[in-house]
Amino acid sequence: MTVTLEPSLGDVHAVVEEVWSSFLGAEEPILPLATPMPPGGWSAAITVSGGWDAQITVNLTDGAAQAVTSTMLMCPVEDCADEDLRDALGELVNMVGGNVKSLMAGSAVLSLPLVGHGDISPGSHLVEVCRLELTWRGEPVVVTVHQPPTADPS
Amino acid sequence: MKILVVDDSRVMRQIVIRTLRQSGHGGHDIVEAENGREGLEAVQREAPDLVLSDWNMPEMSGIDFLTTLRGSGGTVPFGFVTSEGSPAMRAQAEAAGAAFLIAKPFTPESFDEALGAVLGAHP
Repeated sequence: MTVTLEPSLGDVHAVVEEVWSSFLGAEEPILPLATPMPPGGWSAAITVSGGWDAQITVNLTDGAAQAVTSTMLMCPVEDCADEDLRDALGELVNMVGGNVKSLMAGSAVLSLPLVGHGDISPGSHLVEVCRLELTWRGEPVVVTVHQPPTADPS
Repeated sequence: MKILVVDDSRVMRQIVIRTLRQSGHGGHDIVEAENGREGLEAVQREAPDLVLSDWNMPEMSGIDFLTTLRGSGGTVPFGFVTSEGSPAMRAQAEAAGAAFLIAKPFTPESFDEALGAVLGAHP
């Protein structure tokens, strides 16, 4: 029997807070406050395969995605093209995913990030094991971890 | 001195270059490449004094870049700047000949600590 461990909500939250405070400004922290996510927006996902299989996804509104890109590039929002958003959001989920992966035991490989406007569905064999609903600059940000169902120890 | 920054993300290359400046290492010439294959070409062409490379890149990964570089006799100091800083990856990087591994997200202080040992005092 294989028992798959899950990252704890607290660990994932700590990773997200560190990424935000380091690269998006400690003076505007990401808050543990659920704000309704409107339809649409951007998704960035990365998969882990090997000793731990998972998909880590960050969902943001258009406004939050533009603010992330503008802050990381240090340029006005109006100067950020879709290509810049894809690049910045890819790096964002790469950092979150890489650090969450580092928390897990076993050897695994991180994919290249996938970024798109709209939802990125996890594989049908994966279930949500961690969900963080956060708020940054008044905009909702949702971070989820999906992985195969944990084997029932009974 | 000349520093080669290798990352497939333009955003991250800008952040790395900005952080070099913030950590007191802004006086160096900077050369950029988008993956390991382009990095190898840039090492041949530019003869940098230090390589800062991402790990997870298309075309050629950072670890394949370093392994190929060392296999061809290249001895330029090489450090990873990557989103994964697990003990296993640090050990793999060191075994392949990397001088250090800086985990993202990083700070100017972590850059100075790693680069100071390789580059010496600030320019």
